[in-house]
Amino acid sequence: MKTLKFAFILVLLPLLAFTTAHKYYVSVTKIEYVKEKESVQIISRIFIDDFEKLLRERYDENITLDTKDELSTIDVYIERYLTEKLKIDINGQASKFIYLGKEYEDDIVFCYLEIEKITHIKSFEISNKILLDMFEEQENIVRTNINGKRKSFILKNGNDKGVLNFN
Amino acid sequence: MNKIKYVFLSVVFLSVNAFAQDQEQPEREQGHPNNNKFKQLYDEFSTPNMYRAASGAPGAAYYQQQADYKMDLVLDDTNAKLSGFETITYTNNSPDQLKYLWVQLDQNMRSKDSKTPLIQNDATQPAEMAGSFANKYLAEPFDGGFNIQEVKDVNGKALPHMINRTMMRVELPKALNSGEKFSFSIKWWYNINDHVNGRGRSGYEYFPEDDNRAYVIAQFFPRMAVYSDIEGWQNSQFWGRDEFALPFGDYEVNITVPADHILDGTGRLMNRKEVFTKEMMKRYEKAKKSYDEPVVIVTQADAEAAEKIKSTKTKTWKLFAENVRDFGFATSRRWIWDMMAVKIGNKDVMAVSMYPKEGNPLWEDWSTKAVASTLKSYSRMTFDYPYHKAISVHAKNQGMEYPMICWNYGRPDKEGNYSDRTKFGMMSVIIHEVGHNFFPMIVNSDERQWTWMDEGLNTFVQYVAEQDFGEWYPGALSEGQDKYPSRRGPAAKIVNYMGGDQGFIAPIMTKGLNTYQFGNNAYGKPGTALNILRETVMGPELFDYAFREYSQRWMFKHPTPEDFFRTMEDASAFDLDWFWRGWFYTTDYVDIGIKEVKKYFVSNEPNAQIKEMVKQRGMSLSDLPPLVYFVEEGSEDFDESLRNGSAMDNSSTLKEYVMDNFTPEERTKIKEPKFFYKITFEKPGGLVMPIIAEYTYADGTSKTVKYPAQIWRLNDDEVSKAIASQKEIVSIKVDPNLETADVDTSNNAWPKEMNQSKFDEFKNEVKN
Repeated sequence: MKTLKFAFILVLLPLLAFTTAHKYYVSVTKIEYVKEKESVQIISRIFIDDFEKLLRERYDENITLDTKDELSTIDVYIERYLTEKLKIDINGQASKFIYLGKEYEDDIVFCYLEIEKITHIKSFEISNKILLDMFEEQENIVRTNINGKRKSFILKNGNDKGVLNFN
Repeated sequence: MNKIKYVFLSVVFLSVNAFAQDQEQPEREQGHPNNNKFKQLYDEFSTPNMYRAASGAPGAAYYQQQADYKMDLVLDDTNAKLSGFETITYTNNSPDQLKYLWVQLDQNMRSKDSKTPLIQNDATQPAEMAGSFANKYLAEPFDGGFNIQEVKDVNGKALPHMINRTMMRVELPKALNSGEKFSFSIKWWYNINDHVNGRGRSGYEYFPEDDNRAYVIAQFFPRMAVYSDIEGWQNSQFWGRDEFALPFGDYEVNITVPADHILDGTGRLMNRKEVFTKEMMKRYEKAKKSYDEPVVIVTQADAEAAEKIKSTKTKTWKLFAENVRDFGFATSRRWIWDMMAVKIGNKDVMAVSMYPKEGNPLWEDWSTKAVASTLKSYSRMTFDYPYHKAISVHAKNQGMEYPMICWNYGRPDKEGNYSDRTKFGMMSVIIHEVGHNFFPMIVNSDERQWTWMDEGLNTFVQYVAEQDFGEWYPGALSEGQDKYPSRRGPAAKIVNYMGGDQGFIAPIMTKGLNTYQFGNNAYGKPGTALNILRETVMGPELFDYAFREYSQRWMFKHPTPEDFFRTMEDASAFDLDWFWRGWFYTTDYVDIGIKEVKKYFVSNEPNAQIKEMVKQRGMSLSDLPPLVYFVEEGSEDFDESLRNGSAMDNSSTLKEYVMDNFTPEERTKIKEPKFFYKITFEKPGGLVMPIIAEYTYADGTSKTVKYPAQIWRLNDDEVSKAIASQKEIVSIKVDPNLETADVDTSNNAWPKEMNQSKFDEFKNEVKN
């Protein structure tokens, strides 16, 4: 099921009016190809409260992020979720990433992912549906730095894919 | 003879330079306007006039309108409806004659025919859930707009009026001359929205377990628009994001609610004895003398008892507020209520909190203390808080401000546990919203036009107040923390935004409705810019005086951005056109680094450059006057032995000159430099900023030099400094303490530091 809950949020969207909260739904994913390490390094920055809400609704009511005694299952859920929502094709092939872990800073969780053994990149395709199942207004910014070229995309509902070709 | 040679030599140097330039610019270029980053802001600023002085203060003919309100409100708790009858007395202090008045109908943003949804960008979906489809296309939309029943003059005669969405034009029976007053009344009602399941600044939260509501009510009545020297009528529509522009006035408000409700709002409670129980009166008297701990006026047990029985009777709470720009109130039978006195200047102010039991234990522990602390910090930075109370109300997901009262989020889970994020989120939002009493409730800028003027200034003072709070209430901090973890303020925290995609950044000087990344644009960046201006550019002493001056000049008045910019310069003698231009009018970012460092020694021998020059001119070295030569370390002319000697050891010319021109006593005082450097700083970023350079010497000591921003006035790309030092410089770091929001620090060090990327750092940490 690709999309849920639009109407609900659509009606509410205009009324949004938080004077202090971050209340725009945005994640930023930075992708860098380090050729000498044959590694695609990915850091996804997601608002903790949005992500927590999602993990609670999707997996476990008891999940609380950024606490001292965090549930050990959290990383399993995060990995499962990211694997499902962040898809990367390199040179036309689906490429699996390794979830290295996460860290918190202020109200943001940084998720570290790596795709190993990439000797060259001719084409790069990314689909980023993080939190699109939760927030209709969610925008996922993707910034790539591949083969010395920088490029960024804003991926959202209805337009969740970015493609790069290198010659 | 010698003199002639000097002249000749200087000509030689000049012509070499000129030649180099010729080579770079083979063709004649077109001219250009003044693109200098230090160009005065005359084009951006309006011309000062009698209303607004060039100093940034209100001018000799400054005026502002007044709107006084008398309102009788009735809450229908059963149907969640609010109705009101209000009489507005409008005073025309402007020199202009007014034919009509504009009244704001903010609730119409929620009407069925609101245009707000129409300007939202939404994508077509390939499929939708049945439920969402039904909600979107089949369900009747919530009708939360105003029902205006009548608009009449004092004699009961209907006044012609026209409603254009969130603005209503009321025709006057005869034009209102300068200095005249006009009174008229409006009768209205509207359906109160559920703010938790509908997201709004105002509304109710419903508690199904005991079938009760907690109301936080604001922008709920037809409000006068501002008429001013800069906008005429400020009747820009309310789309839902840009907040408000409101005139000052006195409010006499009677609110009728169920008899078991507890209510507080803007203004002085005029009939306390009628609405308080004897026990509440006793506790209230005690609270007035309690400066350290809040006294609970309505306890959790009282509130729990009230939520079980719903009174069918009503009670009227009478509030009176002088010189406020708006009115808000909160009412419910579920409120717990506590108060504490705080000394501001020589006056006692009440710090007040109202919250449902769901807010505990967090709220009973910290809300009122955060309010008191905020009032102290802001009063120090601006002026003594002039009102008699400040209330923090707990409303789920809310963060919104009105005069003397605000709604704040931060709720523990059902067991009463909370994370640091919830705790500091709650404290920060309270500090922020209570701080809004100063900006824009008192320093009354136009929020519809400039979000940053209240949010940015407020975010800046919020940072100062948070740090104070951490210091004054260390018990509020968590284990291992030695200061309050502010989310906004420190320069480093804005780097990600300012270094981000230019396509999605707007200058601060943009109407709030039209900005991307609202929070960063209108809160984070201006707040941080002012913090940088204070701590790094001007210094707290100069900044604080000027900031206070601005606050006091525009207290209970309507300032514009220029009034702020001008006052900051006027009161400090600190030229800041470049700072406002860069940080507020552009999306430029800071990136300053070290391009190159060359090291020289003094020598007796002419270097290759001089030799070449002499040859070109057909001279011989013996034609040159005695000169002190510099030789670059590692160049062909460099001799290792130069390292051992001092400048005078290495140059007999210099030694002889010193012997001839200095007395022996003077000679003993000479501090002779041995190491000479040419340091080239580069500036890939568009913003000009001071260069903060930390020089570290071979003996382990270091020295930090701050080169004022004006160092960039003639070359926006790179500048160089010649440095003579007795001690050898072993490393240089630009912005060592990360106080300028430099978006790329990879060029900040010499010799270059090979820093691990954030990714590698994390990966290595995980591996170990």
